[in-house]
Amino acid sequence: MGISFSSNRRRNNTYYHHHPPPPPPYYYPSEPLSLPPHPPPPPPPRPQNFFTTTTTAASLPPPPPPPPPPIQFYYSSHPYHTGSYANRFNYPPYYCANQPNWWPSIRPNVGTGQPIEPAPYIEHQNAKKVRNDVNVHKDTLKVEIDENNPDNYLVSFVFDALFDGSITIFYFAKEEVNCRFVPIFPEAHLPVRIPFQKGPGQKFYQPSGTGIDLGFFELDDLSKPSPGEDIFPLVIVAETCLPVDSTDEHVDDSAQNTSGHMQITQAVLEKKDSGTFQVRVVRQILWIDGVRYELRELYGIGSSAAEGFNDCDLGKECVICMTEPKDTAALPCRHMCMCSECAKALRLQSNKCPICRQPIEELMEIKINNGDQ
Amino acid sequence: MANSNLPRRIIKETQRLLSEPAPGISASPSEDNMRYFNVMILGPTQSPYEGGVFKLELFLPEEYPMAAPKVRFLTKIYHPNIDKLGRICLDILKDKWSPALQIRTVLLSIQALLSAPNPDDPLSENIAKHWKTNEAEAVETAKEWTRLYASGA
Repeated sequence: MGISFSSNRRRNNTYYHHHPPPPPPYYYPSEPLSLPPHPPPPPPPRPQNFFTTTTTAASLPPPPPPPPPPIQFYYSSHPYHTGSYANRFNYPPYYCANQPNWWPSIRPNVGTGQPIEPAPYIEHQNAKKVRNDVNVHKDTLKVEIDENNPDNYLVSFVFDALFDGSITIFYFAKEEVNCRFVPIFPEAHLPVRIPFQKGPGQKFYQPSGTGIDLGFFELDDLSKPSPGEDIFPLVIVAETCLPVDSTDEHVDDSAQNTSGHMQITQAVLEKKDSGTFQVRVVRQILWIDGVRYELRELYGIGSSAAEGFNDCDLGKECVICMTEPKDTAALPCRHMCMCSECAKALRLQSNKCPICRQPIEELMEIKINNGDQ
Repeated sequence: MANSNLPRRIIKETQRLLSEPAPGISASPSEDNMRYFNVMILGPTQSPYEGGVFKLELFLPEEYPMAAPKVRFLTKIYHPNIDKLGRICLDILKDKWSPALQIRTVLLSIQALLSAPNPDDPLSENIAKHWKTNEAEAVETAKEWTRLYASGA
């Protein structure tokens, strides 16, 4: 579970420079990617002691008015139904982004020092919707032997596209600024770009002869991302707004169009006993109008029949009042389980998710049925 | 009257408890206080409490569901996690309470506790010690108490 490893964020995060960020996070960034640097802590001489660290963090002045929103939430309307994407095209997936308010860091132990009980205050965010023009169904992603070239593997998956565009397949690609991807072993495999036409539920098959001999790589390298999670063995870039002169030939990364909408799927390849490779998607990223979003499914949005944890079989109700529809998710655990009123009441009482008891760092309110398009 | 401002959640839970009771469990609210429930749990099969009918009281405090219900055995029971006052040592009634839990899930958990006594986290030191040093004998005592006190008479 990574957060954004965007160098943007690191650079912006001047305040914490003295303290390396916590180890690869299960946490969500406590500040949006495109946020300007934090205001410097009030008194400059900052002894390395945890008291100072916390009090400083708590007394930081509020931020300047919000810059454009960043961030990274995705909710799928069918998180439990892997095969039920067919109707999604009619309800284009919406992605939720946090409002770019600055909120106090309640991540435990960001600084040096020992763990400090987080204040029982949890920021309540309202979700913003962004529309994704192209969506690769991550559960359908496969690599299979090219029958005409038995040493080579080809990629296939199902996707929806609202506009024409292209798919680019990278192996061992590194994410650079502005969501550009660069192969780190260009001698082994150059990215392959294949154009597509708009349409829902399309099956994508990589053309025979453009595949890769995976025997070229160590199984160990194929099965996990680089330690910093910026290089993934398999990266699928789906983008709309094709450059006019695009072809299906090998392309170099300079031709990559970064101005349109992109959805990036980052995956690892695990070799099974049967000798085949299984693709496991680790992360999906959206790049829309210059903003990077990470996609995360929320648990509990699906139909009530799919609800496993609630024996009353009424999965659309807030688990606390059992009356209002649920519209608020706890983060980072992503349990969509409360209505906003109960979420506000809960945060006065406890910082634990009602479903899993994991500490809540943020609450995100998502209005689903308010007549969006 | 205490019942006039009953939260909808409590009304719904009560209705569901009455219309679809969990197997081996009954819970019905008191007429004069809808936050007070008379509960009966049947001793689980293949436990020393099999054949017994155990009465409990359950009270929903003002803070419910942000705070756990208060539950107590009224029927005497020989169990390492239940003391002689009927108080129950169960994490979800204390620090592991979550507002997503309900009366039904609490009572199911108590029923499960009867099937799986946990002498390593005792409330009754003596009974727990008995359980750990001579489980067969402790189980016999539990059966005997079930016959004596929980026969449903």
